[in-house]
Amino acid sequence: MVTAPPLPAPRRSASRSTPRPGSRGGLFPLLLIAPAATLLITVLIYPLVGALVDAFFESNLLYPEKTFVGFENIISAFQGQFWPLLATTLTFAIPATILPFLVGLVAALGLNQRMRGRAVLRSVLLFPWVLPGVVVSFLWLWIFDANYGVLNGVLRSAGIISENIGWLDSGPGAMTAVIVARTWASFPWMMVMLLAALQSFPGDTYEAARVDGANSWQRFRYITVPGLMPVASVVVLLEFIWNFQQFDLLYVLTGGGPAGSTTTFSLAVYETAFKGFDLGMAGALGVLWMVILLPVVLLYLRRMEADN
Amino acid sequence: MTHTAPAVTAARTARPTRRRTSPTGESRPVRWGRWIALTLVSLFALLPIYWMVLTSLRSPSDVFTFPPNFLPTNITFDAFQTIFADGRLLHYLGNSLLVASVTAVGSVFVGMYCAYSFSKFRYRGRRSFMFLLLVSQLFPQILLLITIYGLFSAMGLLDSYLALIISFTTFTLPLCVWMMKGIFDNIPDEIIEAAKVDGAGQGVIIHRILLPLIAPGMIAAGLFAFIRGWNDFVFALTLSGEATRTLPPGLVNTYLSEFSNRWPELMAASLVASIPVILIFLALQRYFVAGLSSGAIKG
Repeated sequence: MVTAPPLPAPRRSASRSTPRPGSRGGLFPLLLIAPAATLLITVLIYPLVGALVDAFFESNLLYPEKTFVGFENIISAFQGQFWPLLATTLTFAIPATILPFLVGLVAALGLNQRMRGRAVLRSVLLFPWVLPGVVVSFLWLWIFDANYGVLNGVLRSAGIISENIGWLDSGPGAMTAVIVARTWASFPWMMVMLLAALQSFPGDTYEAARVDGANSWQRFRYITVPGLMPVASVVVLLEFIWNFQQFDLLYVLTGGGPAGSTTTFSLAVYETAFKGFDLGMAGALGVLWMVILLPVVLLYLRRMEADN
Repeated sequence: MTHTAPAVTAARTARPTRRRTSPTGESRPVRWGRWIALTLVSLFALLPIYWMVLTSLRSPSDVFTFPPNFLPTNITFDAFQTIFADGRLLHYLGNSLLVASVTAVGSVFVGMYCAYSFSKFRYRGRRSFMFLLLVSQLFPQILLLITIYGLFSAMGLLDSYLALIISFTTFTLPLCVWMMKGIFDNIPDEIIEAAKVDGAGQGVIIHRILLPLIAPGMIAAGLFAFIRGWNDFVFALTLSGEATRTLPPGLVNTYLSEFSNRWPELMAASLVASIPVILIFLALQRYFVAGLSSGAIKG
């Protein structure tokens, strides 16, 4: 669960609110940002740098001394855990980005029409997204339960399976479970963002297209899709970055198992640092993680730049 | 908005005669598609929550029947009695309330001054700092946790409420700053100029003049920060001790191990942890979409 940066918002009357060049205010504006800056440097910048520096040391949570080892950690991470971890992380992150997007898109398109009860439905559909990650995990742990879980019950009653499936006991089953749980918890956010974008479309565009003889599909293809692209690309990129960070669901629902089949970067870094106490290796995995995500982050930032 | 209203009304009243499809102007297949899609999405979103509520209201013997029964029969509050009789749940609940509330107040105040500075002053480094706020949300948080743990350990802050409050406040800052900056941007500078002419100092301007104007936005930002503090798991898991443990790590550490397979209790505890955020969220409704698009939330 992460707080997100701003998304391309409908631009406000920037000109009116931009102060005249005179409002520099000397040191006063710096004083105003000082508390925020202190917190950010202490809790975000310093820790990030600290973890990345650790990658070049033999560093252990239990001992204060550190020895410089250069690229040794990074090389051994690269030759060892890195590729399997990357594969697992992508196996989780790609479907867990696409599925919530699709469900969110369908929900947004469905709600983009005046109708009775729309406001109620929109807020109720957001419930999965506000629940704590731990609660989401407990809930899906119960649904996927091998013996009495409702999923097996429904599938058996419907005659789709004849014997209970131990979803969380097999790699593919456990991965399916976390992806489904993640889809459930994050589609509402996508829905709200896409719906806000849809509602910012000028209504007469559709009317004009209709007059010109465009059918529903053409209006969707040539007005809705291009109009949604800016917001869609931002939410997809952010969701992908967040999925690399996802911890709660993986930790509680599958614990990274069985046999490491759902151990992603974030779980591996956590385990390496807090169970194995090997800060050097955790930092090395972090360096590789950031290198892998860098293109996605840059793409996202360029997108934001374009919108502002 | 207002100047287009007559035209819209005219178009709408003209519609029924012009269109042979539906009152909403959709063709029949599109309307059916909409209903089917909304029904499926609603079932997907809500059935699990229904199942959580139903399970929490059942006795173990009803829960362990196969195939499961979907109707609310033999309702009992036993599970809630069990978890509340165990004092730990109330202890975690109290900790969560405390930590999340202080986080909310802290992020709103720290964020407000920062947002005011960003909105009404121009100085070197301003854009870079705003950019940093944006980018900070893309850092892997687990990686940050490693050094934060070491730092708080060295400062003797581990197992303290302060450790949790400091870290949650930092993580909610970007959202609070961006939300409140949007509000300050919409307050005309003339108000500030007029106050200056009247001899008001910056303190008076911020606290007496601007604060009442941005109060609704502050409440919204604060409630989002509260939800963030309430829901956090991994930082609370790592930085808290038994005395300061909040609900999410408390549920995992205690309930998941001791109550595993006691689904009514687990679902009852989950419900207890969910109700505050759901209520806050319902209260937030009208700020919600605006808040999302001006400085969006979490993933």
